[in-house]
Amino acid sequence: MSEKQIRLAIGVLGALGVAIVIVLHWMVFFWVPTEATMGIVQRIFYIHVPAWWIAFLGFGIVALCSAAYLWLGDERLDRAAVAGAEAGMIFTTIGLLTGPLWGRVAWGTWWEWEPRLTLALILWFIYLGYFIVRRTAVNPEQGKRFAAVVGVIGVLDIPLIHVSVTWLRSLHPEAVILNPDGLAMDLDASMGATISVGLLAFSLVFASLFLARYTVAGYEHELNLRDAAPGGIQRAEA
Amino acid sequence: MRTYIGLVWAIARKDLLVEFRTLERLIAMGAFVVLIGILFNFSIDTTVVRPQDIAAGLIWMTIIFGGMLGMGRTFSLEEQDGALTGILQSPIPLDALYLGKVLGNFVLLSVMVALVFLVFGMFFGLTFAGSLVSLVGVVASGVLGFVALTTLFSAMATRSSMGEGLLPVLIFPLLVPVIVYGTTATNRLFAGRPFAEVDGNLRMLAAFAIGSTVVCAWLFRFVIEE
Repeated sequence: MSEKQIRLAIGVLGALGVAIVIVLHWMVFFWVPTEATMGIVQRIFYIHVPAWWIAFLGFGIVALCSAAYLWLGDERLDRAAVAGAEAGMIFTTIGLLTGPLWGRVAWGTWWEWEPRLTLALILWFIYLGYFIVRRTAVNPEQGKRFAAVVGVIGVLDIPLIHVSVTWLRSLHPEAVILNPDGLAMDLDASMGATISVGLLAFSLVFASLFLARYTVAGYEHELNLRDAAPGGIQRAEA
Repeated sequence: MRTYIGLVWAIARKDLLVEFRTLERLIAMGAFVVLIGILFNFSIDTTVVRPQDIAAGLIWMTIIFGGMLGMGRTFSLEEQDGALTGILQSPIPLDALYLGKVLGNFVLLSVMVALVFLVFGMFFGLTFAGSLVSLVGVVASGVLGFVALTTLFSAMATRSSMGEGLLPVLIFPLLVPVIVYGTTATNRLFAGRPFAEVDGNLRMLAAFAIGSTVVCAWLFRFVIEE
């Protein structure tokens, strides 16, 4: 793909994603019926649940690309990993912010030291570590490897989140749509549609962010190569 | 296999020999443990809470913070005088180098942990003689998991502009399972509960320790290579 095509793809995916996010909010506030048990606060799930799915997609990309980068050493895999981590971090933040809003009404508290919540927060900090090792490594190439190592170890935390749900008593509502028995078929059609729209909207925004960050990471790499080349650009000391 | 174990032991023996001759890390960790025990003692209002009830949590936090003091310097001595380059040029497999470092750190930390239990046992009036074997199992599994991760990340921290300051950011999030299962089990053992009540915790700690050691041994080569 040429640079122009990539920019066009980033713009189109982003614009489409934002447009569908607006449609999603209309559906959440005006279209979908109120859930019988939890009441109006349940509507936040249409943002919260897709945000977590996309966050896990991002971190899945980080884990796979990090492991593959360590294995193969291909620069593009590192770019994909950092793009997945940054975009994933945004959706993790959305998940972590929307969860307490629901919890305040449903549980009567903003935060509960419940295993799945705790480990979700921990996951956020693990990926904060991912960015810090990348930036603070003395050698940038080492920084990429360090970050990949953190990415691989970090994703091993995700099974712990699930194990902890069954291990300790959990307050977090059990998975409804994707549960151990498979895909729920008795979900109300309008609710299913709203959550699907949420997933589509966030997927498009994620794709746009991912592509943009991947491209920027490519420019950064080129710039580093030019700097490192004999007679390369000498940066002014800060 | 025998040669491999010999290599692991050679690295651990070298680290322990240097440490027991200089006592640099052990003195720092030992002083920290005793002093923090004193400070914790003054931080508890005994009219509100019984020290025995919160001792397990304080003990585990002391192990983590004290351990961080020593483990953070795992590679700093070798990095400073270029000895690490010499080790890396020797034909030792990198995972054996890592396991040797883990073994050395595990022994050092075990000495510190023994001091922690001695000091906190005295200061907080703890009695754990009846459940000593279970307690050793729980603590040894937790400490191995902690050492496995810290050894890997200390190699990273040595090559970072943040230095040892990087360790807590990387380690603390990953240590949540050790704290959760370790503290719960220790608390129950202090309360004289039967082994059946901590069996699950012990298994989780052991799984965490073995999993961390295996994964980190594989990942170590990517951290240590130039």
